Amino acid sequence: MADVNNNSRKKIRSTVFRALKATVKSVLVYLIYYIIWMFLAPISEYVPSLQQMIENFVIIYISLMIIGDLTSGTIFQYFVSVSKSLFVIAYLILSLKGGIFGITFQNVNLTVDLRLFLTIAILLSLLGLSKSLLQTINFLNEKAEPMHV
Amino acid sequence: MISLATTFFWIFLIAFFITAVYSVKDISFNIGDPQMSVKTDNELVFSLPVSITNRGFYNIGAFSIKTQVLDKEGFILTQASTLIPVIRKNNEVIINHNMTANVTELLQRCQNYLFNDTELSIYAALGLRIAEMIPVEASANFSMLWGAPLYNFSLGEIQYSVHNSTHVRVVVPISFENHSFFDIVGSIHMQMYNNTDVLIGEGEARIEAWSNMPYDGFIELFVQIIGVTETGRFEVYFLTSIFEYGPLVIPYG
Repeated sequence: MADVNNNSRKKIRSTVFRALKATVKSVLVYLIYYIIWMFLAPISEYVPSLQQMIENFVIIYISLMIIGDLTSGTIFQYFVSVSKSLFVIAYLILSLKGGIFGITFQNVNLTVDLRLFLTIAILLSLLGLSKSLLQTINFLNEKAEPMHV
Repeated sequence: MISLATTFFWIFLIAFFITAVYSVKDISFNIGDPQMSVKTDNELVFSLPVSITNRGFYNIGAFSIKTQVLDKEGFILTQASTLIPVIRKNNEVIINHNMTANVTELLQRCQNYLFNDTELSIYAALGLRIAEMIPVEASANFSMLWGAPLYNFSLGEIQYSVHNSTHVRVVVPISFENHSFFDIVGSIHMQMYNNTDVLIGEGEARIEAWSNMPYDGFIELFVQIIGVTETGRFEVYFLTSIFEYGPLVIPYG
């Protein structure tokens, strides 16, 4: 009876801890976004869709982060981690239109070539993706029952 | 370890990107009044003074200005490009973007530019590399009215008067409007041919036609009496500091 109580207490404590961790991380990410946006705000006058684009990214990223933290210690944590890396890659490619970003302002066509930035960002995301895959394999190995000969 | 390295690189990448973009607002361009001069070989040089002030966090790389002037058919009449390899941070650079146009060559291609106003299109592109890494290009198309230097050129009523027993004094009034942006200083040479294609006389007059002003003048010719016929033609040659053109054939009679 005492063991059952201890187990449920541990579970509650662990869940509360994970929820707290997710909250703190979300607040931190939001603060970083807020600070970054202060620098980017002058540019949004010329690129009206910029704020919406970054906001959508932050919302989805924070949501995935919260789900990842809440599912910590289970196989789903790694699924979410892989999804997060794939989401970053896909979102960067789609929102930056393959790296060549163009807008027309009155009679002036402005083209920004972000291919180098995009390549580095994708490589970093791929590194994160491979890390998540390796962690998944490691997790499955640890969970696998030892074979008795 | 991978997490740490990835996080570090992400922070570095985002910080670099944000500061590079933020730097753009501290770059200022000033375009001065265009200057025009004429070279010894009758070439017009348009000089556009541009000053670039870089108060951003990073150097600017490969700053370039490219301009093209095209006619209605898309033929490039003149083009020019100016490149500055690096503009260091906290520096100001002043350059002259020079565009050269040979008006004589232009008139050989199409004499329409001499006598009729027309519309030309200008393509201008400005390129730079923010932090010497991120290429940015701004381009625009404008249209510009080309004012003909000899707009509505015409000869007035020819006046004949006896000069001596062998020659007649012929006065040919000339008029036009100088719609161009440059002054015309030079001379008009005129040859008079009768209806049997014989040169019967010639004359020259100095002209000074200011930009956007009408011009009225005359040319005096001394012609052999025996060669004069009721019909014939004038061949007009223009010799100015900016262009040379001729013959412009105008029949009379």
